Amino acid sequence: MTTVIMRTTARVIVPIILVVAISLFFDGHNLPGGGFIGGVLTTTAFAIVYMGFGLDFLERGILGRDVDPGKEPSRDRVVLAYRRLFAYGFALAVLSGLAPLLFGKPFLTQTFEMLEGVPIYDHLEVASALAFDFGVYCVVVGGLLTILSVVGAE
Amino acid sequence: MTESDPAVLETAIRAALVLVSGLCVLCGYRVIRGPTNPDRVVALDAIATNVVAIAVLFALLTGRGLFITVSLVLAIIGFIATVAVAKFVTDGEVIE
Repeated sequence: MTTVIMRTTARVIVPIILVVAISLFFDGHNLPGGGFIGGVLTTTAFAIVYMGFGLDFLERGILGRDVDPGKEPSRDRVVLAYRRLFAYGFALAVLSGLAPLLFGKPFLTQTFEMLEGVPIYDHLEVASALAFDFGVYCVVVGGLLTILSVVGAE
Repeated sequence: MTESDPAVLETAIRAALVLVSGLCVLCGYRVIRGPTNPDRVVALDAIATNVVAIAVLFALLTGRGLFITVSLVLAIIGFIATVAVAKFVTDGEVIE
């Protein structure tokens, strides 16, 4: 049983948590933050949705698919999407680590580029560590959400 | 702390840090003795809130903004934990 209070709170809290997660993700490699904590906070936002609205809400309510309630949860298409996110994130992290080898640099060498004259921000620092961070982010979100949705259905 | 802050502010922050730390110890007593499990949960939630307060006070004392981020993340995690335990106590399951 989920109450109206929980659902109303979830509507307010989830966007705030997602914004904090994105800001922490882009803070990484300069300030505290990065892919891991951003992924964990994104997962907590999904956890609130799962706790407030039930396990089938993501597939039935948001994506508009029909779900059989008694079906094996690990075969749900959204769980398969989480697993794919985990695999792609892992591949991205490994490939971004291997990419400096093409330029004759050691494994996981990082660099950055300053962009001048960008609208709104004026100058923007684009770091190559962002690719590795995004891989870690995808691995954390995919792995934790797979665990959450499969174990939560037990 | 900057130069424009009144001198009493640093004293007040240090006193508040000691006070909140003492409250953490008292909550720790409730966690250990507990009589029931909900008592322990409420005490752990109070400890989490106290740690958020400690992080904010430390950010005020040192003027480093990163402790605000720490307190923000801790507050979010503490909220999720409290909601999950409350659902477990009332319903017997966290995710249905």
